[in-house]
Amino acid sequence: MTPRRHPISDRLIEYAAGSLNPERRLVVGAHVRVCPACAGEIAIVEAVGGVLIDALPAVEMHEDALALALARIERPAPPRREPAPGIQGWIDAPAAAVESARRRRRWAAPGVWVAPVIGGPYGRRSYLLGIGPGISVPRHTHLGSELVCVLKGAFEDRGEIYGPGDFCESDEDVEHRPRVTHGGDCVCLVAVDASLVARDWLGRIFQPLVRI
Amino acid sequence: MSTGAGSHSVLTGASVIQAVEYNVTRAMNAVTVSRQGHSVERAPEVRAAKRSPMAISGAQPTAGLPGLSALIVAIAERGDRAAFATLFNHFAPRVKSYMLRLGADGQLAEELAQETMLTVWRRADGFDPARAAASTWIFTIARNLRIDAARRGQRMKHDDPFDETIAPDLPDAILSAAQDETRVASAIGQLPLDQARVIREAFFSDKPHSEIAAELGLPLGTVKSRLRLAMARLRGLLGEAA
Ligand SMILES: [Zn+2]
Repeated sequence: MTPRRHPISDRLIEYAAGSLNPERRLVVGAHVRVCPACAGEIAIVEAVGGVLIDALPAVEMHEDALALALARIERPAPPRREPAPGIQGWIDAPAAAVESARRRRRWAAPGVWVAPVIGGPYGRRSYLLGIGPGISVPRHTHLGSELVCVLKGAFEDRGEIYGPGDFCESDEDVEHRPRVTHGGDCVCLVAVDASLVARDWLGRIFQPLVRI
Repeated sequence: MSTGAGSHSVLTGASVIQAVEYNVTRAMNAVTVSRQGHSVERAPEVRAAKRSPMAISGAQPTAGLPGLSALIVAIAERGDRAAFATLFNHFAPRVKSYMLRLGADGQLAEELAQETMLTVWRRADGFDPARAAASTWIFTIARNLRIDAARRGQRMKHDDPFDETIAPDLPDAILSAAQDETRVASAIGQLPLDQARVIREAFFSDKPHSEIAAELGLPLGTVKSRLRLAMARLRGLLGEAA
């Protein structure tokens, strides 16, 4: 299962250069982990980063820096955390953050649950969104952009089907109403810059419940 | 410097990085993204065009030094402290330079350079010279630790710096290109100067893109499109079979 819908190259460059905020980084990272094409792009950008960092002028370290480093490596390393096992039926997402978020999920509306993953400053946040079969997210637009990676199932948005691992970005000009149509429920990892703006009565009921 | 103070200095300095990251993010978000390209459908076939013979330029100071990868392997295989010292002397001052460029103060930059090299020691067994060059691997460690420090500044969950970097298997062509520092350096050297400049800024500038654009006397959109052109070109130079 290889994703068909990918982030634009700006996102991949930002990901590799380390300039994405943590909320977005999580969502782009979820896609990259299951997408050899994008992982390849990122490998190239990272290789560029390696050459550039290698070519930077050396800045003098503290005079005891090497001695300190040699002392630190003698200390026992903290135990490595085992990567959390993936969730059955989901793509191989960044498991630790996602699994702990899933345990905090709450039902926001019939068939819809939300679980905050990262709540950053300036209204940015990332969250898991679970939607049951046949359910539409109320029509909405965004202040700022919305990044989505499908972890399980599929949804339809603006005539396109997004399946497991697929990535979808909508900016604030887009007013949309994603629908879960295919088979079972759908779980997405979402990052937003700011709150969504409801565009109909259902959305106005939905919005305070979900608080997204 | 007392060893115990290290983690504290990372914590207190993290707000600097946080502020920088916010500026960068805000600048990036301010940029108008092409409307049609939100999700790009990528054709599965690899570009088949012939790559022109690569000029071997010796401009890069140490890129391609095969010894650096061997030093990391020596750490992994036999805990080679001399190899570590050599790596430290080469990379720690450059990692510090990287951190300073991204807005860390001197103490935080020094500390993150130390953390990077300690991670090199502890994770050397995870380094695969067939997958990445030494400088690439160390860059990703430094980048992740910087992100991590910013996250701690925001009281976010501390994640293992490697937790999110597990990548799927990569195409052989990309692997063979990306692990070859000489080839990557040469590809960068072939970029037009204006494109090379924006690439550098994408990695190292702590200025908002609007300021970069103003300095270069360019519209914001031009800076972004140069970045894309530069990446498309590097992909063309590196993403094909050698
Ligand atoms: Zn992809």
